Amino acid sequence: MSHIVTRVTTHSRKVCSLYKRSLRNLEAWYDRRYMYRYRAVLLRARFDENKDVKDMRVAQQLLDEGEKELFSLIHYQPRQFAYSPGGVAHGREVVPPDWVLDYWHPMEKAAYPEYFARREQRKKEYIEWWEKTYGKPAEPAH
Amino acid sequence: MIWKISMNEISMLGLFLGSLITGSLALLKIKSGVMDVVEWELFSLMGSSIVFTLVLDWISLLFMSFVFVISGSVLSYSGSYMAGDKTFNRFMYLVLAFVLSMSFMVLSPNLISILLGWDGLGLVSYALVIYYQNEKSANAGMLTILSNRVGDVAILLGIGLMSSLGSWNFLFYSYYMDESWMLLKIFLMISAMTKSAQIPFSAWLPAAMAAPTPVSALVHSSTLVTAGVYLMIRFSAALEGSMIQSFLLVISCLTMFMAGLGANFEYDLKKIIALSTLSQLGVMLSILSLGFSDLAFFHLLSHALFKALLFMCAGIIIHSVGGYQDIRFMGNLVKFMPLTVSYMTIANLALCGFPFMAGFYSKDMILEVAFMSWINFIALLLYVMATGLTVMYTFRLIFFSLTGEYNLGSLSNLSDEDFLMTNSMSILGLGAILGGSVLSWMLFPECYMICLSGVMKMMVLMVSILGGLMGYILNFMSVNYLLKSIYNYKSVVMMGSMWFMPLLSTLKLSEKSLNMGFQMEKVADKGWFEFYGGQGLYYLFSQVFFILNSLQLNSIKVFMKMSMVMIIIFMILSM
Repeated sequence: MSHIVTRVTTHSRKVCSLYKRSLRNLEAWYDRRYMYRYRAVLLRARFDENKDVKDMRVAQQLLDEGEKELFSLIHYQPRQFAYSPGGVAHGREVVPPDWVLDYWHPMEKAAYPEYFARREQRKKEYIEWWEKTYGKPAEPAH
Repeated sequence: MIWKISMNEISMLGLFLGSLITGSLALLKIKSGVMDVVEWELFSLMGSSIVFTLVLDWISLLFMSFVFVISGSVLSYSGSYMAGDKTFNRFMYLVLAFVLSMSFMVLSPNLISILLGWDGLGLVSYALVIYYQNEKSANAGMLTILSNRVGDVAILLGIGLMSSLGSWNFLFYSYYMDESWMLLKIFLMISAMTKSAQIPFSAWLPAAMAAPTPVSALVHSSTLVTAGVYLMIRFSAALEGSMIQSFLLVISCLTMFMAGLGANFEYDLKKIIALSTLSQLGVMLSILSLGFSDLAFFHLLSHALFKALLFMCAGIIIHSVGGYQDIRFMGNLVKFMPLTVSYMTIANLALCGFPFMAGFYSKDMILEVAFMSWINFIALLLYVMATGLTVMYTFRLIFFSLTGEYNLGSLSNLSDEDFLMTNSMSILGLGAILGGSVLSWMLFPECYMICLSGVMKMMVLMVSILGGLMGYILNFMSVNYLLKSIYNYKSVVMMGSMWFMPLLSTLKLSEKSLNMGFQMEKVADKGWFEFYGGQGLYYLFSQVFFILNSLQLNSIKVFMKMSMVMIIIFMILSM
């Protein structure tokens, strides 16, 4: 895990996450919608069976077992949405942000003098327009 | 009046014209049986000359003709497929650079100049695989280029070995290479195995499907991957009767079987077709290793036609269903895209060797010749099973994508009314139907003598029918409330992951060295080397210079002391 954990993940959130991942896994195995729905209902029933468990030690154990079961049956080629992370078409076209041009080397900029002169002019006009519309930005406190 | 012709149209016209010219020349060469070798002296100094040689025989010209016609169709197709792309022209230049590299490769009778085309193919294919700028493409590109690099190095080593002959012209020397040239043959076999993605270098071909679909249609089905087979065809005289043949037979049969099996458990439409290509490359190399290079070349050409068509059909489908490549999202496409599905079925039937389609003439003959040859039982078994598996995954593909129920969202707009794409497919569609028969009339004016028992003769047909039935019925049965594949989880995962070959070629290959590198950096570079090297030397020098400095700065005292010492020594010595 590369991110820093900044909050406590509750038990119920962990269970919900397991439930969702299990549903997605079922979706990958059962590719016909009606069969998937049938298996999804059975899965829901399995989760519902233990929804009233109050003893946290038992609940934790059930959660661990569920995670283990999911891991042992995870699909080797999960169904992914094409344009979502993990999908085949995700992030195919990278559009570089506009500010990248400001970081060009002066020598590179010199190759396109007209473009950059107009760009600077437009930036100036934009700042003027902004200050006219919204007022000057406040001075930094420090 | 201003004529506006887009780049893809100009390229298509040029390539079709090139195809017509080279095709006609190939026919003339076949008829006359003459080979032209053009030698172009680039540079000459003191008796040594650098000569650029081109070979124009029927093999190279016919291959060029096919490369041109497929690339022409693909470029025309790209005019619509890549229309929305921001860097369309870059794509076009890359594809044209690919065609140029392919021409260099095909027309070179010299190991050095073939390397020029060979490396060009590797470089351009890398650029095409990473054309889309996501992480998947970057990883796939790295796997592709590094796997192919092994083959490039093998060719370079081969060049080194051949330098002792004084020439790198393999067209003539290959006839005189006996067993003492085993090492060179091994190097060439390795380079052919990498380019044609044979085991253990198979992982890159399905990964390279991250490239745009027109690229897959041209590069990863019909031209680049057959470069390895082409190299082996050129060296077939040297391979005759050597141990290399037996080894190549085992490898190619295994690849054929592994790819056929993997395709039956794959869900990505393009990867299924890539695995099918892998399987057919196995067929080509296996018949080549049995000594029938003409049959390998015949299958290379007929396969190029229907496989490029299959990829183009897949491209239209992927476009229509909104970028999805997973066949679980498809289904019942026959109702929405009748023309595309018809072409796809034609290509699929040609692939299966359906009577009188393109694949039938080449594949059926290959299998019958193989059955007639002196091969061991395991190779025979692998041949039979791979043939059945080919039909099986084809019918699985038909079952999942073309028939059944529509599986995508309820709001979708599917059609194949893109005439630019469908028109460019028509040429290859014609090729997939007639290509095999026309080629067999051209290449084999005399019949191949095949003598088999009735059972063996019917074997291919029976295995194909059985494979087709199993492919359809097993998948039909697998649509079940109680999935059987979950109960055989481990074996299913193994077969669906190409026998874990992608994992073995990437993580498992580099894991140890990466870990070792990390440890080396931690212990050596940032540890002892730094302690004794950078920091240690700094400390030592600073101490030494401190002493020297103090000597220099206190010069009068030092001189007096030194004078005193000298005087004492002098006095002692003079006593």
